[in-house]
Amino acid sequence: MIYEVRIGRLPMSALFSLQGASEAIGSWAESVLPAFPTMPNTVTEMDARQLLWLGAETWLLRAPIEQEETLLADLRPTEASEDISIVCVSDALVFWRIEGDEADQIIAIGSPLDVHPRVFPDTAATWTECFGQRALVQRVRGGFDLAVDRSYAPMFDDYLARITA
Amino acid sequence: MTDNSPRLPQGGRIDRSRVLRFTFNDRAYQGFEGDTLASALLANGVHLIGRSFKYHRPRGVFSAGVEEPGALVELEGDDASGNRPVTTVRLTDGLVARSVNCWPSPKFDLGAATQLVARMLPAGFYYKTFMWPDWRIFEPAIRRAAGMAGAPAKPPETGRFETRNAHTDVLVAGAGPAGLMAAYVAAKAGARVLLADDRAEPGGSLLDRRLTVNGGPAGDWAATLWADLAEMSEVTVLRDTTVWAYREHNLLILNQRNPDRPGLIERTWRVRAKQTVLATGATERMMVFPGNDRPGVMLASGVQAYLNRYAVRPGKRAVILTNNDSAYQAAADMGAAGIELAAIIDTREAVSDACREQVPGVEIWAGAHVVDTLGRQRLTGVVTSQITTPIPCDLLAVSGGWSPNVHLHSQARGTLRWDPDSVAFVPEATVQPSHSAGAANGQLTLPEALASGAAQGVAAAEAAGFTPNPPPLPAAEEAPYTVEPFWAPPKMKPGAKAFVDLQNDVTAADIALALREGYDSVEHVKRYTTGGMGLDQGKTGNVNIIGLVAHAQGRAVGDVGTTTFRSPYTPVSFGSLAGQREGSVVLPYRHTPLTDWNHAQGAFMYEAGARWRRPGYFPRDGETFQETVNREALAVREGVGVYDGSPLGTFELKGRDTDRFLDLIYTNTFSTLKDGAGRYGIMLSEDGLILDDGVSFRLGQSRWLMSTSTGHADAVHHHMERLRRYDRPDWHVQVTNVTSQWANATVCGPKARDVMQALGTDLDLSREALPFMHLAEGMVAGLLARVIRVSFTGEISFEINVRPRDLPTLWERILEAGAPFGIQPVGSEANHVLRVEKGFLSLGHEVDGTVDPFDLGMGWIVSKKKPDFIGKRAMEIRRSAGGPRWELVGLLPEDVQDSIPEGAPLTPDGAKVPSEGFVSACVFSVVHNRWVALGLLQDGRARIGHGAHVRLRDRVIGVQVVAPCFHDPDGERLRG
Repeated sequence: MIYEVRIGRLPMSALFSLQGASEAIGSWAESVLPAFPTMPNTVTEMDARQLLWLGAETWLLRAPIEQEETLLADLRPTEASEDISIVCVSDALVFWRIEGDEADQIIAIGSPLDVHPRVFPDTAATWTECFGQRALVQRVRGGFDLAVDRSYAPMFDDYLARITA
Repeated sequence: MTDNSPRLPQGGRIDRSRVLRFTFNDRAYQGFEGDTLASALLANGVHLIGRSFKYHRPRGVFSAGVEEPGALVELEGDDASGNRPVTTVRLTDGLVARSVNCWPSPKFDLGAATQLVARMLPAGFYYKTFMWPDWRIFEPAIRRAAGMAGAPAKPPETGRFETRNAHTDVLVAGAGPAGLMAAYVAAKAGARVLLADDRAEPGGSLLDRRLTVNGGPAGDWAATLWADLAEMSEVTVLRDTTVWAYREHNLLILNQRNPDRPGLIERTWRVRAKQTVLATGATERMMVFPGNDRPGVMLASGVQAYLNRYAVRPGKRAVILTNNDSAYQAAADMGAAGIELAAIIDTREAVSDACREQVPGVEIWAGAHVVDTLGRQRLTGVVTSQITTPIPCDLLAVSGGWSPNVHLHSQARGTLRWDPDSVAFVPEATVQPSHSAGAANGQLTLPEALASGAAQGVAAAEAAGFTPNPPPLPAAEEAPYTVEPFWAPPKMKPGAKAFVDLQNDVTAADIALALREGYDSVEHVKRYTTGGMGLDQGKTGNVNIIGLVAHAQGRAVGDVGTTTFRSPYTPVSFGSLAGQREGSVVLPYRHTPLTDWNHAQGAFMYEAGARWRRPGYFPRDGETFQETVNREALAVREGVGVYDGSPLGTFELKGRDTDRFLDLIYTNTFSTLKDGAGRYGIMLSEDGLILDDGVSFRLGQSRWLMSTSTGHADAVHHHMERLRRYDRPDWHVQVTNVTSQWANATVCGPKARDVMQALGTDLDLSREALPFMHLAEGMVAGLLARVIRVSFTGEISFEINVRPRDLPTLWERILEAGAPFGIQPVGSEANHVLRVEKGFLSLGHEVDGTVDPFDLGMGWIVSKKKPDFIGKRAMEIRRSAGGPRWELVGLLPEDVQDSIPEGAPLTPDGAKVPSEGFVSACVFSVVHNRWVALGLLQDGRARIGHGAHVRLRDRVIGVQVVAPCFHDPDGERLRG
């Protein structure tokens, strides 16, 4: 491997797309969610549940897949008020963890995102482009989590193997 | 090595302990680590490198850098590449190089016969000569005769390329004195700095000359500063890296050779910089005089570089021709290296004492110029304007002044001005946040360059938000630089070959001819003569061309202006541009959860829209393609089939304004639908043409499920996002793309309901409980599923949507439950047959971006009650204008076994006249046992029952125009 990194696919996450005013979502979800991030493109965390602020009135709830059923029951997506949208999207994204001293170089090869710590700090997460596709990059301890639409996952495996071979 | 050896016994920046062996034109030579191919060849006494592009005249090494116009080679083996200037090829052990533009060898080149008819080959000769009867008759031969080296036959066998992105506060292009100072100042201020230099060693021109900084060799100062910068955590230093493009928004593109990673051949950097400092130096210009292309004629700066950097003496007895002061420094270096200086010919009437003091004892002829050179394949002497006796010499060092390398500044849309003092174009105003420094900005002496670099480093750092505290300037001295223009000798013999472009064999006479023939803009002159084109882009000759044009037209040089500076600054390999995008990832691809299963079944896979790789068909042993497709299609028509419909675009819409949102984007009404009911709809773009078709189902209060075509899913998503965010920001609609959250297996055919029952479900699937265009949620085959009654085949269908993680299980269970009913997996080809038989639309076929619903006979889907929908006004305006339209029809070939290529034109009576339509699809119908087609035909509906003609290249096919539905026109089967 020509870069000092460790790359591996992560197990499925329980994922929920949340749209609407944060107050309305918070009111509906009550204590299910971590506190809403105060800065766009940052993440908050509570009990292994992460809340990513990814766009205007758009959040992604990420949790261990074991919590998916519980979250479905607690969030009741089909019953939510018409002001908010809660959609389970656990199958829609595939995640990789990229760790190591040169993890940022892998992101640089795939994506135009600036991941300098001054610009993309510890709690950062954003949609960006990676290998020509829409991708989610989240800084984690020692590296990054990279996620892409499930249909592109084999292509990303291919790319990641090529650039590190 | 002896004293007569071109290689000097000491000095240079080569590593004499590392001997490198290489081959040139099948002969073995040796060089040293640190050599270029050019310096190694010169060190071995090789001066004839190849032949010129047009006249096949001998070409030797003319320079020492990227400006090299004539000495091109083709590399073989692992380094295989064509048209490489020898001055930019780093010598490696085992390098194999070959001359270009000559056969069988540069010494004896049959192509040189072209010189015998050179007078018949002026600029633009082929425009005039080969127009009749058809240029294409002559084109292949001319291209073969004029071409340079070909592209390598194969990609590199080892190694790979990479592209990457980077961000920086200050990008500095060039690590000469100005660039190093700028980078150091900005880095010390705390800025993120990226410093790139196109040479293997930093220092720029300092390496080529004998200058001092702070009392020590200037090259050592550069190396120390570079090392200091490399140690700084926020600094990236890249050697062997050319900044070759300056794009919008301060995006710059770099080509890095020999990256310090095993297996990497080259790397492209896309750098987004807040500020740039362009310290790209200057290029010495050639001088125009007859015979100025003979091997042995070199730029004075090139000679200096070979002496000081590579310890190579390119000649033994030299004449220097100049119009400026810098050549005197070069002459002094030549003298110090043991080259006999026969004379300095200075075109200026007066030569300063400062110049004379640098070359004591050397004869200087002021106000003179060279009128001819002697020799065949190497220079043997020059003839000057002052005496008729030739001066014997094997080296003519020329210096026509210096041109700041303003390429990047100009690519960034910065303007230039003509500076009569330095006789050069220099940067004027900038458009993007860039700062030119040093020689690139016209500050040509070392003290000026250092000061300029520091100042621009301060400016860039401050503009990037930092507070620099620049260190004191290093101590350096250099004689001032003065220059006077000299574009060409006042008189030249007719037929004299005084070149202005050594690569394209363009002469001063060609420029004059172009002007006489009316090409009076410098851009036209360039295109007519090809002067300034090619690999070197006229780095050494362009300003001479501009000067000649100005002189001939009696205009100021600044008024003539420059041609456009375009990227790349130097040639870039295709591999570097492509980077990691090669082989299996050269195009994006998407898989469904069934891809592995499809492969295991031997399905023929290909892309079927939006980068999805889908099974085209599932061949069985002994079947032809058509037999396979017929079998699969017949299974759906008569029994049952199943296909993977996962790639269809799927969106969940939510919000109190979603009902009216759907009514706005579809031409028909959706808001009246009850829970669980759906409707087929068509979306128009703002110009009233069909954007997409699909279905939407109401899931509940203000909650909808939308299904789009596969190919336009992204376009529809963007359409909706633009609408809700910008056009209707006050509407409350949320859109979630769930294409990859749901996957589906669609069971279709007369026995589909039987298979569904066999699968086991808690849903009532009867026609009454779950009618066509309805959905229900429940358990199917033990999996939580959403079953939708839609049909894209014309048969009763159940689209079973499950989580993608469950699709492989569902698929296996469907095949198991369907086995007693003869279920077969169905690929895209059979689906295509089924939809054509039914007359269903397909985007990219019937919907080609020019049609509206009325053209397709679907006026019924356009609501007359709704006050508005997207595209309504544009469509109505267009249709109110009247006139014939191409309309959807069915087509039956007169011969039932005749298939028609998709896209074939329909023309009146099959004549070779403008088409009146085209065939959008043609399939073998398993229902009718014959070929049937769909097409768009002018006034097509009015022509049903009549004939039409398909015009092919070699024949005409008669067709009968029929209604565009060949199967179950009333839709009884799909509603069953």
